Amino acid sequence: MAEHFIAVENLKMWFPVQQDFIEGLFSHQREFVRAVDGVSFHIDRGEVFGLAGESGSGKTTTGRLILRLLEPTGGRIDFDGRDITHLSEAAMRPLRRRMQVIFQDPNASLNPRMTIGKAVGHALEIHNVAHGDKAKERVLEMLTRMGLTPPDRYYRLYPHQISGGQRQRVVMARALILRPDFLVADEPIAMADVSVRAMLLDLLRRLKDDFHLTYLFITHDLATAKYICDRIAVMYLGQIVEIGSVDQVYSNPLHPYTQALLAAVPVPDPKFRRTAPIPKGEIPNPIHPPSGCRFHARCAYARERCRTEQPLLLPVEGEPGHFVSCHMFGENGWKPVAQEVQI
Amino acid sequence: MDERKQSGNGIPLLQLRDLVVEYYTRSGVVRAVDSVDLDIYKGEVVGLVGESGCGKSTLGMALLRLVRSPGKITSGKILFKGKDILTLSENAMRDLRGPEISMIFQDPMTSLDPLQRIDDHFVESIRAHDKHISKEDAIKRAAELFDLLGIAPDRLQDYPHQLSGGMRQRVMIGLALALDADLIVADEPTTSLDVLVEAQFLDLLKDLRRRYNMTLILITHNIGIVAELADRVAVMYAGEIVELGDAGPLFAEPLHPYTDALLGSVPNIKLDEELKIMGGQPPDLLDPPAGCRFHPRCPYAMDRCREEEPPWQEIQPGHWAACWLYAEGKRETLHG
Repeated sequence: MAEHFIAVENLKMWFPVQQDFIEGLFSHQREFVRAVDGVSFHIDRGEVFGLAGESGSGKTTTGRLILRLLEPTGGRIDFDGRDITHLSEAAMRPLRRRMQVIFQDPNASLNPRMTIGKAVGHALEIHNVAHGDKAKERVLEMLTRMGLTPPDRYYRLYPHQISGGQRQRVVMARALILRPDFLVADEPIAMADVSVRAMLLDLLRRLKDDFHLTYLFITHDLATAKYICDRIAVMYLGQIVEIGSVDQVYSNPLHPYTQALLAAVPVPDPKFRRTAPIPKGEIPNPIHPPSGCRFHARCAYARERCRTEQPLLLPVEGEPGHFVSCHMFGENGWKPVAQEVQI
Repeated sequence: MDERKQSGNGIPLLQLRDLVVEYYTRSGVVRAVDSVDLDIYKGEVVGLVGESGCGKSTLGMALLRLVRSPGKITSGKILFKGKDILTLSENAMRDLRGPEISMIFQDPMTSLDPLQRIDDHFVESIRAHDKHISKEDAIKRAAELFDLLGIAPDRLQDYPHQLSGGMRQRVMIGLALALDADLIVADEPTTSLDVLVEAQFLDLLKDLRRRYNMTLILITHNIGIVAELADRVAVMYAGEIVELGDAGPLFAEPLHPYTDALLGSVPNIKLDEELKIMGGQPPDLLDPPAGCRFHPRCPYAMDRCREEEPPWQEIQPGHWAACWLYAEGKRETLHG
């Protein structure tokens, strides 16, 4: 797996469940929330890799694990040919410059008492990259590239004095000031207004080329993912159920969950009104995930085997790079019928 | 849809006439809702779309006379079943909220009492509507409603925090149904829900409107759910309704350049089109631009747009827009 820029193998993050005192006395077993439970994938240099799923699917936790903001329970993470799974905080430090993250809410990411110039330039000082006028120069240049012009005006402003979309651009400027080569974007446009989203997406795409970035793009919105991702993994209850190029997954979704997710995306055009109902039920409790296939209780195609045996992520014949984790797939040529949306 | 056209000759359930809502802030007066006219007919779903700050939520709150200080409804009329609710006493208004006009918010937790079980919420609502019903019968009705909402009846004993977000939102719509409200105003009802749960909720709304001939005003920034559910769409920009029409024609051939730009900036999973990026930002409502408020961002702006407010015109039957292009006969500019 040395070839890939980022490689994740059988990654696990189990969070212990807080028990109350009495329960703790009498129970022998600790319980865990299996937020990420055996996830493997790779990201190549220059790629935009999407992680999609509903809340609680483990997509954000996976991102935090790769950034080593959490200590994984099991598995392995390789970053640029190096095993970083259990690197110490000190050993991680030089790598931190190369990996950055932007979150959904720019208000929570920015210190309200820090000017924009200071917020963006702070990392330069911490990492001892540039100081004083040199640092300012770099900040001004970065603000310009984010379209925050004239930059010296924005340099002096505070976060509350600018719009939400501009704040997210400040967050991006801060993330890129150290010239990282890997960026985790966790729902970066979810809070923005409709018209601002398109602008931020466009900016993210341009920055990727300008700075030769590799993205892990975490989102619940499959319509957005289609616009920016090259490859995508769909997660359900801590596991990947389907992975492939955007083209493969969107035009030939094979997991019933992927199909449901794709069908559920509201289409901004009444011509494409959905006619087939969406499967009922909600994402189950990750402390006691269902046996067998985790989706079986909500799956219209579930059979006995799905209730007992966990399916493996297997390659789809004739589609290199496309993998699906479903017992039904490939059996006697069976394929779930994608829910047709009629015009 | 069709029901509306049939009953269209009757008076609308709700008529807004020249409605103005203003916020009196320290820096000046903000006109959040500016001279809005809108008719809502029984049985239709009207989507009210726009971006943050366009006044759509303020308008929703105004329909229940719930605009909070420093905001105030300063002029205009809100005729509900032909009667101006702005002239009602606070007591009469309280009786109207719920049984006549119900509201659903983005976060159902703000509307549910955390110390009350779900069945108590229902009993209270059902009894508010029908004072003679016994508690047992009310619980029975609640269980029937739960069945319709797709929630197991044993969850009636739960407290709100024990339900998932999707269930809570279904409880909210159930409470509105228990009250038999004539009009439901839903402000971003699916925004806090996951994609699948949102789609399930939309399925439920589709089913309920068929059964109950529900009248719904759907306030949202989510163009997708409006396209999914609404019969008619009103687009708001900077406090004004700039376009109004049946969903089909409005999405297929938007008349106002703002609607056109807004629809173009939303990713469509069914198509492979590039996104159109709308430049600029909505204006500061403390000091809105002269003429058409969209003119600084409008690619088709003419001199007249900078000086005079465009007229609100019916450009095609039932399809209205406020844009000078049509008065000037330059329709093909947008759809050449």
